[in-house]
Amino acid sequence: MSSILVKNEAQLGLKLVAPAVGIIGLLVIYPILFNIYLSFFDVQLNGSKTFVGLDNYTDLLGNPRYYHSVGVSIVYLIGTVVGTTVLGLAASILMNQEFRFRNLARGLILLPYFAPVISVVFGWQFIFDPVNGIYNHVVVDVLHLTNERENLIGNPDSALFVVILFDIWKHFPIAYLLFLAKLQSVPKDLYEAAAIDGQNAWGRFWHVTLPELRFVIATVVLLRIIWNLNRFEDVYLLAPNVETLPIFTYYQAFAGIVDQGGAAAISVIQLLVLVGLIWLYVRKVLKW
Amino acid sequence: MKKSLLVASTVLVNGLLISQVSNAATVEFWTAQTQSDRLQTIELLASTFEALNDGVTVKVVGVDENEMATQMAAAVAAGTTPQLIEVNSEIIMALGEEGIVDTQTHQGVVGDIGKSRFHTGALTTLTSPEGQYYGLPYHGWIQGIWYRKDWFDEKGLAAPNTWENIETAAKALTDKANNQYGILVGTKQDSYTEQVFTQLALSNNAAEFDDKGDLIFNSPATLETIQYYKELAKYNPPGPQNWRARDYYLQGKMGMFFYSTYIMDDLALAEVAKGSLSSENFKELSGGTFDPKLVKNTAFTPIITHKSAASYGTLSGLVALKTKSAEDAQATKDFIEFMYDPASYITFLHMAPGGMNPMLKGIAEDPAYLDDPNGVFKLYGADKMKQIVSGFDDIRSFSVVQGKTFPASGAIFAKSVIPRMIYDVTIENKDPQQALNSAEAEMKTIMGK
Repeated sequence: MSSILVKNEAQLGLKLVAPAVGIIGLLVIYPILFNIYLSFFDVQLNGSKTFVGLDNYTDLLGNPRYYHSVGVSIVYLIGTVVGTTVLGLAASILMNQEFRFRNLARGLILLPYFAPVISVVFGWQFIFDPVNGIYNHVVVDVLHLTNERENLIGNPDSALFVVILFDIWKHFPIAYLLFLAKLQSVPKDLYEAAAIDGQNAWGRFWHVTLPELRFVIATVVLLRIIWNLNRFEDVYLLAPNVETLPIFTYYQAFAGIVDQGGAAAISVIQLLVLVGLIWLYVRKVLKW
Repeated sequence: MKKSLLVASTVLVNGLLISQVSNAATVEFWTAQTQSDRLQTIELLASTFEALNDGVTVKVVGVDENEMATQMAAAVAAGTTPQLIEVNSEIIMALGEEGIVDTQTHQGVVGDIGKSRFHTGALTTLTSPEGQYYGLPYHGWIQGIWYRKDWFDEKGLAAPNTWENIETAAKALTDKANNQYGILVGTKQDSYTEQVFTQLALSNNAAEFDDKGDLIFNSPATLETIQYYKELAKYNPPGPQNWRARDYYLQGKMGMFFYSTYIMDDLALAEVAKGSLSSENFKELSGGTFDPKLVKNTAFTPIITHKSAASYGTLSGLVALKTKSAEDAQATKDFIEFMYDPASYITFLHMAPGGMNPMLKGIAEDPAYLDDPNGVFKLYGADKMKQIVSGFDDIRSFSVVQGKTFPASGAIFAKSVIPRMIYDVTIENKDPQQALNSAEAEMKTIMGK
């Protein structure tokens, strides 16, 4: 090819991607850059800004609550990601078997995922209300298992546990759905071949199902990490005292008068952490 | 419907005297009164104003009080700031410091109505150190302890007006095995907790600032209050609690609780109590039928004494925000003045008889004011009303020290520093001195900004 042709083609290529680059730049790159810029300022509501250098960052990194919330977030992430994946996997394998009313059962499993967060959260709060709730009524008044009424959602020791449980219950259907879709496309002869080779049910799961599902599982885990590191509404509505990173960010930056500079600093750090985490995951676990 | 028509017509007749605005203008009014019946009343006032003023549109928006500051920030950033908001004084002071408040309009309204007609203390609370009005006081409430007089009499307990009496009674009335609790103090990280703590702290002469504006929060008096607060929280229902737990009192499961005068109609009227019990806490759990004797069996101590006597209250004000349009600013000013007109003012205050107390002198003695539609004031009787309002003369808060206002207190309030300290101590079992130290550090960070 002549050099002119190559040059022209390159120019055409540039022209073709230009709109996409422009849109991404405007909608993704610009806000990120502006956010980084804001994180070095004290911003007033009327728009005036004072340059404060790294103050927003030092304030944040000097705050013991920040590290506490990082710890809480890690426990929350591990608990919910493992929980939803395992439960989703179990449910999808079960629902992949032939039985009567299978379609109905498949649909019913999705219900928690459909229900609006706000209504289910109030339902859970109602169950665990320390004075009027059903949980305490059954445990204390009916079964006499203990004399002490407990506020499982309010008590900081159990609140994190309840929040994790809630997330698993609410979000495992999406994992289940993705797994089931993939399971249905796994060729039957693979299982038959494994059976002929003398594999029992566990062996077939280990040598056929898991390898086939590997990339779907990896995708689900990746998505859950991203979602749950940023998840706000479930946790805040159910137990606002469980300070995961987004809740911490809310209290620091958005409760009361918005501290835009501080909020920007937190989100910059959170972005770095998330990018680092995903990079590590993609390279080491997925080996993409 | 009949009632609202009556209200509308009286307001209309009174309002005819108010000047007319002819240019097209918009007043977007954010109010912290989010209950639907209250919003309806405010809508009614707004429509009346619209009828009196050609071309003016008043748009009423209900915004939760705890969300007001955040929503304002979003609105300012988006360039959709409302013209007028109604919110509590702490938020007003914090917003005032952000430079978005139209102090000139406030100056104008005070000039038109007459400075001397406002209760002095109320106006001072909303005045900046430079003497500008960050907001206009509209209504206020006082807080105290509401308690079961019949249970106190049965057990021979003294009224809960001192620290010792409160603790003794809380202990005597708690029977956790039978789902009975002596008292409720706020332990969630929200403004209710701050309100309860503030009254106890003020009664122990603890303060946030001295009269020079220096932070003196980390003091033995504050520490002592936190320790006492922690003691009281032991008689709470389990876990973090906030004002919603007043339902436990209405259900007869609690002996004492801190609350503002807003509780008056819940105690007195079955309809109101039922509404507030079931709206968020589910019908099945409304705790049985309404107890008509509750209003008789309940007593109120607005003043708590330890080292000094303290009542606590807060006021809500109207705040005009800076706007580019002169027509909007004028319409906003007219609307504010319309809201202070006795007919509309009383209509507004009657949304929560006793909870919303007037900030203009003379309104409280107005026979129209004392004749509220549900008859709450009659049910309580003149004497009890007098006792309740007596706490209002001695209204104190952290932000005003010897007649000087320190707006930083508003920012500290908005950031929930104190409620989080209380939560840490009562629920997380953090050492009180440590919690106090970190609260102080946080206050310094906020003030440094």
